[in-house]
Amino acid sequence: MLKFVQVTKYYDDVKAADDVSFELTEGEMFGLVGPNGSGKSTLLKIMLGIIKPTAGQILVGGAALKDKDWLNFRRLIGYMPERVSFYDNLTGMATLELFASIKGGSITNIEDVLAQLLSREVLARKVGTYSKGMRQRLNLAQALLNDPSLLVLDEPTSGLDPIGTRLLYDILDGVRKRKKLTVVLSTHMLAEVEEKVSRVGIMKNGVLKATGTLDELYRGLNLPLRLIILVNEDDPQGALLSEILKQEGAVNITYAAGQLTAELPVENKLNMLASILGQKDKFVDFTLRQPSLEEVFFGIH
Amino acid sequence: MAFTEKAGLPSPLPSPLRALAYKEFSDRLKSRWVAVITVCFTILTLVVLYFGSAASGVVSFRNMGATVASLTSLVVYFIPLLALTLGGGVIADERDRHTLDLYLSAPITPAEFILGKYIGLAVSLALPSLLGFSIPGLIILFKTGVGSFGSYMVFVINSVALGLVFLSISFLTSVMFYERSKVVGFTVLVWLFFTIVYDLGLVGVLIATKDVLTPSALVVMLLLNPVDVYRILNFTTIGEYSVLMGLASVDVPGIIRPSVLWAVTVVWIVVPLLAGYYVFKKRYLS
Repeated sequence: MLKFVQVTKYYDDVKAADDVSFELTEGEMFGLVGPNGSGKSTLLKIMLGIIKPTAGQILVGGAALKDKDWLNFRRLIGYMPERVSFYDNLTGMATLELFASIKGGSITNIEDVLAQLLSREVLARKVGTYSKGMRQRLNLAQALLNDPSLLVLDEPTSGLDPIGTRLLYDILDGVRKRKKLTVVLSTHMLAEVEEKVSRVGIMKNGVLKATGTLDELYRGLNLPLRLIILVNEDDPQGALLSEILKQEGAVNITYAAGQLTAELPVENKLNMLASILGQKDKFVDFTLRQPSLEEVFFGIH
Repeated sequence: MAFTEKAGLPSPLPSPLRALAYKEFSDRLKSRWVAVITVCFTILTLVVLYFGSAASGVVSFRNMGATVASLTSLVVYFIPLLALTLGGGVIADERDRHTLDLYLSAPITPAEFILGKYIGLAVSLALPSLLGFSIPGLIILFKTGVGSFGSYMVFVINSVALGLVFLSISFLTSVMFYERSKVVGFTVLVWLFFTIVYDLGLVGVLIATKDVLTPSALVVMLLLNPVDVYRILNFTTIGEYSVLMGLASVDVPGIIRPSVLWAVTVVWIVVPLLAGYYVFKKRYLS
């Protein structure tokens, strides 16, 4: 749908984005993570056509976007910026009417979504009386006003309580079921990204260090799997199982409170499991956990 | 779409531009800014009209020339200040609210964004000037006839134009700084410069370069200050050259014609606004 080809952006002498290439496929939810100052915002602004790259190209449907094309392309984009506070003197409904006029959208496009996000009574109130969570819900509503094909969310759950967070993702899932909506989710909430997105891009110092599914990322980094075995009285200190694990290449094997913990290379996973299951009378249960996005993130940083 | 429909502004304007203009205007209308300024201008005009000659021991309605001369000397301070404060925060405030990126990511051009804001604020500023000065001006119509009232209305239009000039300057200051506090500080400096410092400096230059500065050079220097252009425009309208002579003891050259002064005023409206547009594009869109 949208392809970044060797996109570089300089702010004076500072390189905010360095030779970034990646592609968004139609209908996917793509997570963009990275610490403050890593270049996420620059990338989002380029994606939204707010700023132009110093070098490189943005392709849509295989064709490079020219300056004159951006205005039309923006009609397909919904954007939910971080911490937008809107206008205290306008009602929620008037705010949506304003942005519908600006974006060429319509409130009828989001009637069903709006009913879930904010009640009529709340929409009739001035935004100045809204809580942070209500403003964020209004923010999501305005982002959907033009029935976008690409939705760019910058820290969308900032200020939302768990119910609001769940609702936001339920609404996104609902919209995505109806149409092939591509979503870019930029956030610091790694656990959230891990749960929701199909692919992740990790930024560091303006460089897109890695992109892919979580599985691809941890395999690429050679991060170990974590095995936790709850041993029984037949192997009280987990000595026997420890020995087997060592032979299969496991490292950092520790025992505490009846639990044996080890890290094992992903390529040894099946052999290791076969060996362990061969000693199934020596343990009560086991858990095999793949590295989290947080571990991948810190593996890169 | 209702936001645009409510605007009731001319339909040739693109919908986003109308929506932006309407928002700015309705904000000032709802906050009673327009009403308060209209009342202030009305009271100011009535006071000047009736009590303007109190110093000479006479209290009665004065003629148009004296009223315009007195109002001009007051308006040169009020309208620039109002316009500068009105438009000074226009971009910085959107940035602080994080709504600026929303506009920039919408399918509107930066020119539509700037122009929409400008038109909305221009209407907000022009309406109090038109109503606040015109309503008491009807007294001039009844007391002195249509001829004087016509000249008075030229003063009113000049005052609207002065507001538009400083609104344009305020847009330029608004895009020059990211922080609202810096915008406010710079706005005060701009106001001081054009309303007080420039003329003082000019008088100083005249004294220091006695017989060196030609009348034409002086005129050019006067045209560089929109406040002086406004003053001269009003005084030429009412034929009160002697008031102008208080500032510049020279023959009024032929170049000082209303058409030239109007052209200069238009330049003062357009150039800062265009400069603001280019600075805005450079700062926020590149």
